[in-house]
Parts: sequence; C-alpha cells; structure tokens
Amino acid sequence: MPTLEIKGVSKNFGSLQALREITLEVETPQCIGILGPNGAGKTTLLKIITNILKPSEGKILVNGVNVNQNPTKALEKIGALVEQPEFYPYLTGRETMNFVARIKGMSSSESAEEIKRLGKITGITEYLDRKTGEYSRGMKQRLGLAVSMIGDPEIIVLDEPTFGLDPRGMKEMRDILIRIRDEKNTIILFSTHLLSEAREVCDRVIIIDNGEIKFNDEIKDMNGTKMRIRGSFSNVKNTSNGLNMTINGNEIIVEIKPGSTRNLVLKELMGMGVEIDSVEGMDRMEEVYLSLVQ
Amino acid sequence: MTNRFLITYGYYFRNYYRSRSFYLMLLLVLLISGLMVYLSFRYINKLPDFIPALKGKTISTSLKEDLFLYIWAFVLSDLPVFAAVFFGSPAISSEIENRTAFQIFPLPIGRSVLLMGKYLASVSVTLAITAIYVFMEFITYTLVFPTQIPVTFLSSLGLLVVFIFSISAFTFLVSSIFKKNLYAYITVFLIYFIIFSAINIVFELIYSYNPFFLLANAASIVERVFINVSTSTFAVNNSIAGAPFSSIMVSLMVMVLYLVVSIVASLLLFENKEVK
Repeated sequence: MPTLEIKGVSKNFGSLQALREITLEVETPQCIGILGPNGAGKTTLLKIITNILKPSEGKILVNGVNVNQNPTKALEKIGALVEQPEFYPYLTGRETMNFVARIKGMSSSESAEEIKRLGKITGITEYLDRKTGEYSRGMKQRLGLAVSMIGDPEIIVLDEPTFGLDPRGMKEMRDILIRIRDEKNTIILFSTHLLSEAREVCDRVIIIDNGEIKFNDEIKDMNGTKMRIRGSFSNVKNTSNGLNMTINGNEIIVEIKPGSTRNLVLKELMGMGVEIDSVEGMDRMEEVYLSLVQ
Repeated sequence: MTNRFLITYGYYFRNYYRSRSFYLMLLLVLLISGLMVYLSFRYINKLPDFIPALKGKTISTSLKEDLFLYIWAFVLSDLPVFAAVFFGSPAISSEIENRTAFQIFPLPIGRSVLLMGKYLASVSVTLAITAIYVFMEFITYTLVFPTQIPVTFLSSLGLLVVFIFSISAFTFLVSSIFKKNLYAYITVFLIYFIIFSAINIVFELIYSYNPFFLLANAASIVERVFINVSTSTFAVNNSIAGAPFSSIMVSLMVMVLYLVVSIVASLLLFENKEVK
C-alpha cells in the first residue's frame, strides 16, 4: 500500500512564507484534490513533493523514504506532471517517454509496450513520432500525463492537468484520471481551480489558502445544505419567517435546514412572493471554499 | 547507475545533434575549414611571412610543416569556444527558462547523473564538430606535404580534447548560475574574450608577466606545441621552436584545474537548484 506523509512542511521565498507547516498523511489509495486560489501554495506543495523545490522546514516521506534526503529512491514511486509541461523540442514523444521508462528501470521491449499502452490511454499514439517542439499545448499536456503514468507509479502528482485544454480535452483528461483512480492502487494528488472537477474526480478535497491547509475532508461527506436561487425578489413581503437566507441582487442563497426539503423551502419562498427563474443546489465544497478562501 | 548515465547521455546527445545550434556550428566549421583549405593552397609558399621574425627568409620543410599546423591549430583552438558556448551555455539555464526542469527533476535519477550525462553529450557534439575541421586539416596536410604528419600533431589533438572538456565544464558552470540562456551566453563570451584579454593585457603591459592561469592562455598550447608563439600575449621571449614540455604541463594542469573546479561547482549548484 503506498503512503505519503507530509510532515510540518514550510517553504519560504525570502520574506514570503509560501507554505506554513503543512501536515498531511495519506495511507490509502485515493484521489485528493488540492484546491485554493492563485498563490495559495498548491503548486509549491506539489513541487516540494516532487523534489523541484526543497522545503525550508519539515519533510516529505514516500513509503517512508525522505524525498529530500534520498530523492532517487523516493521518486521511483512517483509520477509527476507539474506546471504546463515542456519537453526537449528535438526529441519525439516516443523518445521522451522511452527516456523516462528506461530511467525507471524498464527494458527496451517493456518500454515499447508501455509507450503503446499509455499512448492509447492518453490519445497521443498518432503523434508519438513527431518532435515535441511541434506539439500543441493540449498534446504536450497529454504527453505530460502519459509520462507521469509510466511504470504505474504508486503516487501520481498532477498540477492542474486540465489547464489549457479545450472542453473535450478536459473531459477526456478527467475520464483518464477517474479510470486510474478506479483501476489502480494509486494515490493521486492533483491541484485544480475547478470545484466541479474536484467533485467529479476526487475522493477527498484539501483547500489551501495563504500557505495553510484550511480544509481536509472526504467528498462523500460534502452533500450540500444550500441552494442558489435566481429570480425577482421585489415582491418579497416577509423575510423573517425562519429561513436562513442571504439576498444579493437577483440572487438568493438559502439554507435547507435539517428536517426540511428543497421543495418545502421553494414552496415557502414562493409564498413569500419570490418569482423563481432558476434553482441550483450548492454543495458543501463550494460553501466551504467560499467561506474559507478570502 | 552506469546504465542510467548512458541512457541520459544518449538522450541528450540526440537532442543536441538535432538542434539548430548543431547545424549552425556545422555550417560554420565547414565554412571555416573550407576557407582554411583554400588559404593553405593559396599561401603555402608564403608561410614564413606569417611570423615577423621569419619574414622573407627561406625555411626548412619541417618548420614549414610546423607553421602550417600552427596556423590551422590557431584557428582550431577557438572552435571549441564557440561550440561550447552554443551547447554548454544554455545547458542548465535552459532547463529553467524552457521549463524542462519540471519534467526531469521529478525523475528517479540523481541530478549529478543528469548533469554529467548532459555534459558528456555536449562535449561529444563539440568533439564531433571539431573533428570535421581536424579531418580537413589532416587531408590538406597530406596533400600539401609528402611527409608523415608529425607526432606533435597528436599532442596538439590530445591537448585540444582536454581543452574541450575544460571549456565545456566552464560554460556549464556559468549556465548553472543563470536562469536565462542569454545571460549565460553573454557571460561566457564576456569572460573568455573580454575579461581574460583585459587581465592578460594588464599583466603583460604592467608587470611583464604572462598570466598562464587564464584558460585562454592555457588553451593556446594547442598551437604552441608547434611553434611557441602566442599571439594572445605580448611576451617577447617567444621562439619558433615548439613549446617546452614544462609549458605543456603547466597549460595542461591549468585546463584540468578549470575542468575539475567547474564541474564540482556546477554539480553543487545543480544539486541545490530550485525552480519556482
């Protein structure tokens, strides 16, 4: 069973504290989404896990091996796609993948098989013999994902893997991640700005803000308790009827209290004179995210 | 470890020889060696005029051969500088500027293995480029002179190889300091062609002392093994004989020292490199 332990990791860039004593233990295969606004520290954390940055304090253990002290051994179990991937432009996708496969200890024939398999999964088979300098952003992203999956790593670290992809590419990328999550005995850590993406792909969500973990919980425990209603509230006669709600222009956010239902709340609102245009359920992730992230 | 090193070396070597820099250098070397072949045939009988002390004099065949080899080697000793600047200067800085570090740093391979693999790949392409020039020199020599090429030619080639290792290591060191390729290119050029020359001039003119410790001066041994005239110095006590063994050893030591110090410093810098 793979394990990832992040113990009291801090990172300073001069006077800027990018990460503050991050501690996290992952002992079962699962997909963890790392959410947070720009500059929150998501990418910095992933870079420290993958030895691109060194922690100012604390340590990262992969299956008990310290990444900082013994990176070669610790990184054997990690596949990574950090930031927008760039490759040596004069080498083909196949050569790039072959290099990583061989570094990970595969023979030439094993490497060829692996390239074939991952080329198919990530949809880059027909581009594999082109030089990566000719790849589009999306193709590079797919190649980056394929590279990160070489040798079935026990831990896969992905930094905004759907960034820069068109909607179809994003969907395909998410499907790949879901497949890895469901089929493999893997810990997937991936950062994203998209709550919907985290909700679709992850088992657990971590919210980082200002270099600190502000939230860490499983997705299944995050059923929503609020709804967002758009419409006209000019005819609302009475708002002191026990409903916990916030009116903001033509939008109202209302809480569904324990024992009540969505329909009961809507009925109550209509009774108050609200003309409803649309109703959208908010899940707890969004509520938590908005309440935690300043 | 050895296997990973060879894989890394092969990977970088391939990336180097397919690069635009390689073809640019190839073109440059073909042009320069073509010009040298033309000049060799055109001025073979005026060779003594290249050394003021010999101007207008009749010289022996062996001295003529040495002069021929000296002039070819004089141009040759600058080729590795250009090649090393092309291949070595962006070696580390490009990993940061082009963001390829994000792909290679998370790999389960020591950074020292990565650096040494890339370094040897860079040295190899530089050797390949200079080999073309040396081959042209050899062919021209055999066409011009009926005699067998002297052993000093092999000494010169041996010293050239050490110089290639040395200048490449030096460019890797400069590259390890910067995050932008342009800064690395400019710094290597500035140090080698401006700062070294300035130091040389100051030492020669003010102290009448040959600063043998400069890499550029040590590299001139590649041509001085034929005739001990260094056009990069103002030293007056040069001779038309080849450089003495002691001079060869001093230059060799200086080049090896640059090589070792540069590689060790590059390894330390690369090992601790972080990419924000």
